[in-house]
Amino acid sequence: MLVEAGNTRNAMTVSFFSEVAHHPTALWVAISRKTYTYSLLEESSRFTLAILNQTQKALALHCGTISGKQEDKCKALKLYKSPGDFLFLHGALASTGCSVRERVNLGDHTLFVADIVESHIDSRKAHLRQLLLSDL
Amino acid sequence: MHWPGRTIWDTRIQSVCGVLSADGDQGVEIYFSATFAQVSFDPPRIIVNPNRMYAIEEMIRRGRRFAINVVPLSEKENLIRLIRLRRRQTHKPEQLGLVICKDEHGIPFLQESLRTIFCEVDAEIPSGDRSLYVARVLESRRNPKYVGQQPLLFGEIAPSRFPSLHKTVRKVAIVTGGLDLAKKLVGKLRPSPPANIAKTTYEQAGATEPELSLIRSYGLLDRGRTLVPPAAPAVLTKKVGICVIGTGWGSFHCQVIHQVSPNARLFICGQNEERTARLARAVRAEAYFVGIENAVADPRVQAVTLALPHDLHRKAAEIAASAGKHVLVEKPIATTLADADSMLAKARQTGTILMVAEDMHFRPAIKEAFQRIARGDIGEPLHFLAHAAGVRRPRGWAANVERMGGGILMDIGVHYVRGLRLLMGEPNGVIATRAMQIDTKIAGEDNAQMLFSSEAGWQAHMLLSWSSLRGHIPDIVVAGEKGTLHLWPGASYLDFYPVRPTAILRLASYIRPYWLQAKFMREQFGRIRIGLRDKESGYQGEFREFLAAVAEGRSPVSPPQDGRRDLEIVLNCYEALSKHTSVAISPPESNFANGMPNPISGSDIRRS
Repeated sequence: MLVEAGNTRNAMTVSFFSEVAHHPTALWVAISRKTYTYSLLEESSRFTLAILNQTQKALALHCGTISGKQEDKCKALKLYKSPGDFLFLHGALASTGCSVRERVNLGDHTLFVADIVESHIDSRKAHLRQLLLSDL
Repeated sequence: MHWPGRTIWDTRIQSVCGVLSADGDQGVEIYFSATFAQVSFDPPRIIVNPNRMYAIEEMIRRGRRFAINVVPLSEKENLIRLIRLRRRQTHKPEQLGLVICKDEHGIPFLQESLRTIFCEVDAEIPSGDRSLYVARVLESRRNPKYVGQQPLLFGEIAPSRFPSLHKTVRKVAIVTGGLDLAKKLVGKLRPSPPANIAKTTYEQAGATEPELSLIRSYGLLDRGRTLVPPAAPAVLTKKVGICVIGTGWGSFHCQVIHQVSPNARLFICGQNEERTARLARAVRAEAYFVGIENAVADPRVQAVTLALPHDLHRKAAEIAASAGKHVLVEKPIATTLADADSMLAKARQTGTILMVAEDMHFRPAIKEAFQRIARGDIGEPLHFLAHAAGVRRPRGWAANVERMGGGILMDIGVHYVRGLRLLMGEPNGVIATRAMQIDTKIAGEDNAQMLFSSEAGWQAHMLLSWSSLRGHIPDIVVAGEKGTLHLWPGASYLDFYPVRPTAILRLASYIRPYWLQAKFMREQFGRIRIGLRDKESGYQGEFREFLAAVAEGRSPVSPPQDGRRDLEIVLNCYEALSKHTSVAISPPESNFANGMPNPISGSDIRRS
């Protein structure tokens, strides 16, 4: 998950996300309130969900074990800007730019329901499957 | 290379495939989902987002408890079959042959799942055309049978006849850039509009509130279907002594009995001794009788078939039943509901079988069409067209409206009413009209047209005529949102026209110039001809079933209540015809259909 708030940006591995509805076209992501990403999301209501492929285990581990407060993890990522000004990730199966519509507190996590704004597919990775939590 | 995503499926957020299962008032409902995920650790919670067009959403909302059954790779075919099923199909697990279990949680779950997650709803977040349910995990249970097996992923469920080849070709095309090149070429031939995920997703699978209200108004499940054709033809293991009563259409009965049971002990009964004796010789009957009382008194006769004028059905059936003989009566069961009820009561009282000879119930094309509709090949069935025509001039008793019970509607319409009930379900209303009478020598109508309607959202048109020809067109057409079936009388096949163009037509659509393309856009390229596995006719099937039921002392698969209901609907059509207005058709009685309690149970039937 890629978040940009002002001049600050961060990447964090998430596994709690899925689809919300087809109309309005939306997805949800659940983020722990202890994370740096959560604080950035409080400032910005836009984020990118980049779906990693099965070969991106190292990237997932890196972004999932180090806090963005300690290190700019985005430096190590091949990022580019989408036409809608979202941070998209080269090599991901797909990168999807979202705009937060609703926040719901659910115990240790907050649920962000977000409208899907735009998406890019990496056509050379389309034969690969998603990286699963069980792969890590 | 990066391509803009055009739909929500391009985002690849759909992941592990699962089946949601929940209890409803009409059994267990199941639903495919690849969009469930954990949402918190403490307490462990999960989110599912069932589509509000599906019954499962309502069942979860009402029951608050459900299971997520994670699908193992090896169960891919079953999942594809579930995805293809009609949205409103009832009894989905039974239709797919899936085993449903229940334990201390009281939540139904699939036996063949990799992992089962039992859930209880904590909160519902309204979210457009889906409902977002946040649910507490009661238990997550791994199935030891599938240890080491991976879950099936959404991207892996594309159906293919040659999955390995398909996967390899796709991979080569992707890695070498061939797919990108092909996309560019297609884009030049048919330029796409700018990507708009929300708009395209909505157009393909989304729904607004007014749309949802409209869709849900026809019912989330199609509960109007009560009849099921027999799964397989009956097997005859014993010789039955059977007497055909009636020497007109009765000769056809003899022919069919010889075809399905060459060793049956065949007897003939008629009023005219000379004519009866002649038929008995012609069909090599063991003996003949003059008068039904003599036939049913003979101990060699276990059962009778009635090929008589319609108004005699009741009297003859009751004489036979009183003598302990099982009865197969030609359709219509009788000319009045009072007669039909009396026949049913007599059969129940004497413990004998009463079956109506309705070949439509056993017609192989009907069975094939029924199965294809149930598995979702045509999507929601919308229109049923029946066209039965052929120049015929009934004379004698058949020209007498009192004896016949009517005209073509009573004689032929009753068959197509059964066909309608089997393929579409129970109608709720009918309007009827007719053209000018050509055959003025008969008192009954020689043509009629009916338009049936159903609260489940379908309509049926029936055109019957003894004064015009049908020509070379199917006698039954069933059209649905995903395809159309053509049933041909007497044919060993039926035709399927899928809405999604066949591969040949898809390729042909790229041919330019258009005059050349038109040469390839042939009707037969859009047709899939399906050979029928059962080679026997409906007539053979009905006689085989009756003889087997007599031999085994069981109820026939089509109880007499089916025939009574057909008659009831035909009488509603007559009412509509005479009143020139629409007539409501009452719902069938609760103990009516197959699978429901039959007034005559197998144990009550007298064994011959």
